[in-house]
Amino acid sequence: MKILVCIKQVPDMESKFKIDGPGQWYDTTDLAWRMNEYDEYAVEQSILIKEELGNSDITVLCIGPRRVQETMKKALAMGCDRGVHVEDDSVHQRDPLEISSIIAEFAKGEQFDLIFTGLQSQDRGSGQVGLFVAEILELPSVSTIISFTCEGKEIEVKRELEGGMKAVVRLQAPVLLTCQLGLNKPRYPTLPNIMKAKRKELSVIDVEQLRKVEPICATKSLFVPEKKNSGLILEGEVSELANELIKHLKEKTSFLA
Amino acid sequence: MKYTEFTREIYWNVGQGPSTLFPMYLFAVAAIGLLIWRMLQRVRKYKLGISLQRDDQRSRRFMLMLRNVLLQQKVTKVAWPGFLHGLFFWGFGLLVIGTTLVVLQADFTDLLFDIVFLKGNFYKIFSIVLDVAGLLCICMLAGLLVRRYFFPTEGLESGTDDVVMHGLLFAILLTGFLIEGARMAVTELGTPLALWSPIGLLVAKAILPLGESGLRALHKVTWWIHLLLVMGFFVVIPITKFRHILTTSANYFFSDLGPKGKLVNLDLEDEEAESYGASTIKELTWKDIFDTDACTLCKRCQDRCPAYATGKPLSPMKIIKQLGEVAWHDPEANLIETLGKNALWSCTTCRACQEICPAAIEHVPKIVELRRSMVLMEGEFPGEEVMTAMEATEVNGNPLGFGYAERGNWVKDLGVTSLAEDSEVDLLYFVGCYGSFDKRNIAVAKSFIQLCKAAGIKVGILGKEEKCCGEPMRKMGNEYLYHSLALENVELINSHNVRTIVTTCPHCYSTLEKDYRDLGLESEVVHYTVYLEELITSGKLQLQAREFDCTYHDSCYLGRYNGVYQAPRRLIEAVGGTIQEMEKSHDQSFCCSAGGGRILAEEKLGERMNIGRVRMAEKTGTNILVSNCPFCLTMFEDGIKGAELESRIVSRDIAEILVEGL
Repeated sequence: MKILVCIKQVPDMESKFKIDGPGQWYDTTDLAWRMNEYDEYAVEQSILIKEELGNSDITVLCIGPRRVQETMKKALAMGCDRGVHVEDDSVHQRDPLEISSIIAEFAKGEQFDLIFTGLQSQDRGSGQVGLFVAEILELPSVSTIISFTCEGKEIEVKRELEGGMKAVVRLQAPVLLTCQLGLNKPRYPTLPNIMKAKRKELSVIDVEQLRKVEPICATKSLFVPEKKNSGLILEGEVSELANELIKHLKEKTSFLA
Repeated sequence: MKYTEFTREIYWNVGQGPSTLFPMYLFAVAAIGLLIWRMLQRVRKYKLGISLQRDDQRSRRFMLMLRNVLLQQKVTKVAWPGFLHGLFFWGFGLLVIGTTLVVLQADFTDLLFDIVFLKGNFYKIFSIVLDVAGLLCICMLAGLLVRRYFFPTEGLESGTDDVVMHGLLFAILLTGFLIEGARMAVTELGTPLALWSPIGLLVAKAILPLGESGLRALHKVTWWIHLLLVMGFFVVIPITKFRHILTTSANYFFSDLGPKGKLVNLDLEDEEAESYGASTIKELTWKDIFDTDACTLCKRCQDRCPAYATGKPLSPMKIIKQLGEVAWHDPEANLIETLGKNALWSCTTCRACQEICPAAIEHVPKIVELRRSMVLMEGEFPGEEVMTAMEATEVNGNPLGFGYAERGNWVKDLGVTSLAEDSEVDLLYFVGCYGSFDKRNIAVAKSFIQLCKAAGIKVGILGKEEKCCGEPMRKMGNEYLYHSLALENVELINSHNVRTIVTTCPHCYSTLEKDYRDLGLESEVVHYTVYLEELITSGKLQLQAREFDCTYHDSCYLGRYNGVYQAPRRLIEAVGGTIQEMEKSHDQSFCCSAGGGRILAEEKLGERMNIGRVRMAEKTGTNILVSNCPFCLTMFEDGIKGAELESRIVSRDIAEILVEGL
């Protein structure tokens, strides 16, 4: 199997976030960085497949500034074979379609049997990138998978639906899958693998070589929700409460106008 | 009689001719040859282990050995049965010296040079000393036997070794007196010399009815039996626990000379290394295998192990025993599977086992070495919560998962700045993760700052640049994470030219003071209890006393690891506290459960240690449990709730007690 895993470096969610100067993204000073949680499931799954099937090759791809290589090293230490760093200091300004097209541009000639992404990123959370990549590459895709098995090119995944329902989907590689919590438990890299990772191939490609699509949406502004007037708590007998509620709705809203 | 009156004829009745000497020396040479051959076989097993230097500072090592062998220092630390062993040892030692003198005179000095020294007053003293020593040995041996077979304490294992050893020693001592009695009955009765062998005299009188020929026959037979028993003793030394005479003595020589508790660094730069830690006996050191041969299963370690006491699957004694079994019978075995993961993860590295071990066995480093293999080679932890804490530490430099940039926030309203802002300070306060982020321990950190301010000391912190010292990770086996945290801290501290570092956490203290030295830390490191005591002694810090009762818990890393027992007690007394000691205190203190990186892990097996410790505190009848460590404080807060003792006792840090005296 030839596998591509797409990962994103995101800030640790325990950090204190501030809006940056232009007001379009968060300020990156004093942030600690880590691998997007859902991408860890993607990395782990690709390694599990390699361990089961043998004879596989896993490429981990990440778009972002220099610092994302630290996160890529973790993926390599977990067991990915090679890294492709698409160097891009403006990654945070690109919309999901642009990001997807960059990935697709890289992947199109590579004949990957499996492409894994996380279901969404913890910082932007659009949930679109993986599925767009599949569309551009004209591959079948399944989102939010929580289990994976394969026999040759026959793949069976379970995906999560609303209301606790699950769906089983069978399909044929090549395919793109986005990973959800519950798929697996990402491993802790062993020291020999951390050492080996230092010697693994990590190629850097300038984003301009892969950027073929113009963005179709842009962030206008990013802000912390304004503090509005606090809620109103009505107390008293139920019959009176109902009347009072209607009065409030009439006076202060347009619902009963 | 050939000599002056106060002496005796050596080889009386058995004769000093070739028919005695030839078989006697043949047996002796054979027995000692067998002993040496078998010990060399054992040495081959020790050599399975990897190298470790333990023969530097030889005079210091030699003195350490003499102190512990001749004075039985560690053995007698536990009075009962330590003194039985000690007295037996000294008595038996005298008998060995006595017998050696006899051989020396009869077969060498007298035979070759006509020199006789066992005569006159010296002989009288010689005679009575050996007589009393023999009786002492019998009494002590009887005491040990009664203890082992009639009143065995919980967990005492008795096997074939013990039967052989007790039987052989009794037989040697009793035949010795029988030989003496028979000889005295024929040659000494009624002479003034007889009174110099009171026990022999009693035996002589008892067997007198046998008549001279009967006594002579009894003497001759017993003499040969005694000789064979002694030869048998030599032969079984290597194959029974008797070997401890050699191995335990040698183990004192090979002791870890410290600094106490400092772990051996792994070479993380070696890119060729394929394995880290130990999962087979061959990956441990020769000393680790030698330790298993020095163990006598006295179970002092097991008696003090807090994990064992609370029903966890760990006994330090069993670990050593099992390692020995693997070394001798199955050297390819996987140690992790043999010893059991749960046993290895249960250790809190409290060092109670190692401190009490009368054989100088090093339990804790072995457990850490095996944990290293689990973590570094398999990526395994005792639970998911531990892995989460490790990852949190990698990202934010603290196992609690807080954003690293918040680390210095607690101190903002106290007017303390980071060294990055102002490095002109009297001391660097290395706050640690709990002092920085944990609400309960922030109160302690603030108290410490207040005390320093009151003494006119200017304190600086590292703030958001400080990282976890790495101690819990290291003890859990995550040497790689420890190493990267430690390197960053050392580089940072050195860049500020810090002269003195004070910590409020004994784990940070021990790590900075000992482990960081390997990475180039040069500053002086002091635990706050010692630092504050100096401020009080020098008059810089003045506190008002008010009378109160409390009990005090010696944390493992301040007490056993660093020997600081008095400074904290004097601090408590300085503000009027009267300490009601718990049953287990000082070097016998009972771990709070959070050492060895267990602060990161849930305690799922057995009973909870912290509840046990809180109950011990409550038994003192006081209502304050004072401690000196953020882990202990956290565990006791939790333990008090768990034991439902909220109305009876509170958990406080020394700094909090002191700050009330300002």
